[in-house]
Amino acid sequence: MADGRDDPDVEVNGSSGRERVSGEPSPGSVTAKAHAPSDRSSPRREYGPQPMSGHRQAETLPEEILEYTTERRSLSPRVRILWSVRAGAVAILFGIIAGLFATNAGASPAITGVLVLVFLFVGLGLVLARYRVWIYQIRRDALYLERGVFQHVRTLVPFVRIQHVDTSRGPLERALGLSTLVVYTAGSRGADVSVPGLTPEEARDLQQRVKELAIQAEGGDAV
Amino acid sequence: MNLDRRSIPYRILENGLRIAAVVGFALVAGSGGRGGGSAALQQTVTFLLAGVVIVILWEVAYVRRYQYQITPDTFDIQSGVLSRREREIPFERIQNVDIAQNVIQRTFGIAEVRLETAGGGSTEARLRYVSRPEATRLQELISDRKHEETARDPGATDDVLFDLSSRELGVLGITSANFRLLGGIVVVLSLVAPPLTQELSPRAELLLFLGPGIALLAILALWVISGLQAVLQYYDFRLLRHQNELRYERGLFQRYTGTIPLPKVQTLMIRENILARRLGYASLVIETAGYAPGQGNENVESAVPIAKRQRVLELANTIEDIDHPTFTRPPKRARTRYLARYTIAVGLITAIGGLYHLLTNSFPFWFVSAGLVVFVPPAAHLKWRNLGYYYDDEYIVTRAGFWTRRTTMVPYYRVQTVSSSQTIFQRRRNLGTLVVDTATSGGFWGGEATALDIDVDTARTLRDAVHDRFQGATTRRRANG
Repeated sequence: MADGRDDPDVEVNGSSGRERVSGEPSPGSVTAKAHAPSDRSSPRREYGPQPMSGHRQAETLPEEILEYTTERRSLSPRVRILWSVRAGAVAILFGIIAGLFATNAGASPAITGVLVLVFLFVGLGLVLARYRVWIYQIRRDALYLERGVFQHVRTLVPFVRIQHVDTSRGPLERALGLSTLVVYTAGSRGADVSVPGLTPEEARDLQQRVKELAIQAEGGDAV
Repeated sequence: MNLDRRSIPYRILENGLRIAAVVGFALVAGSGGRGGGSAALQQTVTFLLAGVVIVILWEVAYVRRYQYQITPDTFDIQSGVLSRREREIPFERIQNVDIAQNVIQRTFGIAEVRLETAGGGSTEARLRYVSRPEATRLQELISDRKHEETARDPGATDDVLFDLSSRELGVLGITSANFRLLGGIVVVLSLVAPPLTQELSPRAELLLFLGPGIALLAILALWVISGLQAVLQYYDFRLLRHQNELRYERGLFQRYTGTIPLPKVQTLMIRENILARRLGYASLVIETAGYAPGQGNENVESAVPIAKRQRVLELANTIEDIDHPTFTRPPKRARTRYLARYTIAVGLITAIGGLYHLLTNSFPFWFVSAGLVVFVPPAAHLKWRNLGYYYDDEYIVTRAGFWTRRTTMVPYYRVQTVSSSQTIFQRRRNLGTLVVDTATSGGFWGGEATALDIDVDTARTLRDAVHDRFQGATTRRRANG
């Protein structure tokens, strides 16, 4: 689990040249961003006409788009409670099942308690690691997500591709004052793109931003 | 318009047989215990006759009450005997019109027309059944209505892009062994054979060596069967270009006509299994949005079932303007990773065998599986050798697979989401994976281009590059109208 946490890009939060995306603190860096990838360029990373069009877009609509972008954000700390409750339920379930096997094999019934505790410990460790790893960011042209302890995934969801945006709240989430943002694309992974552990205000705000940016991207400079 | 009258007898035959089978089975199962006298027989006959009459009445009513109209913008269907259903399907929503016809339907002169729309895996509407000329008429009419803006060119003819020769059909038969099934058979046999042989004979040890022989026979039989199946399926295959879409026809007993709308094409995939690769052949799969011709998740249907590799590349080139890709392989440390992975797998299998031996004192040759370690280095090398990625200004291409090598070509403007990922095992070797997702229905293999186990920095740079090029490509496409 330690490996889950000490990903340099997550911890350093920016400024390290390895991951250009992590920087981007202020509006001023947008034009820089269009050229930024060249810092790791191999001979093949020449762009042809694309950076020009990207650049132009940044020049024509900087202000209104920048209003909607965000810095790299973590989830609401409360999501740890939500995940812990779930981890606890799973730990109890698996602890009892494993305990049944163990007692059948001749161990003392106390083993069940020990197993539940062990599973709980592992589960809580995972919850903390998962919380530390989760990052989301609304960029100029895409929603950026980082997540996953065992498999660390960084995804870019272009706004042009977003079909619609939902916020959803399960009963447990409602009790804890949390909300989930679900972004739908037409991709084969479908509704896979969701940001859990947001406060309802955050979720609504994000939904609004993503919606605006999706509309902007759609209309864009076609007009 | 109504369905063809000749579909009444066919439908009665089709459904009547199905119902008769169920009823017959139920009666046999039910009367088996009682023995049954003449009264029971009489009852059975009356029951069956009543069933037949009901089926006939139902089918006549179904065919008579099924109506479809073509309006300027929509295809309307009114159907249902007791509960009526009315549907209007806008022409521009119709992705594909497929025509299917089996042998019996062909003797009746009728065919099934399937209308597919994007979204949802199931067929939107089925006309069962119309006459064969009517089916073709509908297919052409819908295709014309769909591309109304590009008014029909009177001189437009169908270009035959590809015609499957009998030689290629032969190659298809030879190369279409289903290797995944073969693997499954070997596993099942190796599990089932030892206990079975022990049952059959006390000289179990001797018979154990018959296992491979049986497996070989099964493999041969399966090979012949899947080869025959492929030959029947793709008999007389033709691929035509009709304005903005591709059309194909195929099949001996079940004749099938399908369309692939070119503007909806998402990715192209070249599939070569190990046999085809040896012979220099390949197949081309075209994946469209939300619907893969031929339904079924696993068996994505080929646009070109088999052709010389060079020919397949040329055909791919006419659909997407793609250069001959030159692949970059993952770094050598990826190969070390597979070496370690396979060694661990062999170790685990042997350990489980050994444990089983210790606990039950059967299975005397448990250590034989350790011999598999001989295959580890070549397996790791072959896995690594067949991996690769390539990208240029328009496309990203990835490939993977030794038994069946799949080369996936994705134009940037079809990208949906792009991710780079790293598992904790990849982290040790500084490797990562790039996943480019598209809007295909995909199934298990399709849908996304995956560059496995490349350098993690390369994966991240590529992720951003693909995203930037996607943005550039959409901007340019929009600018061009």
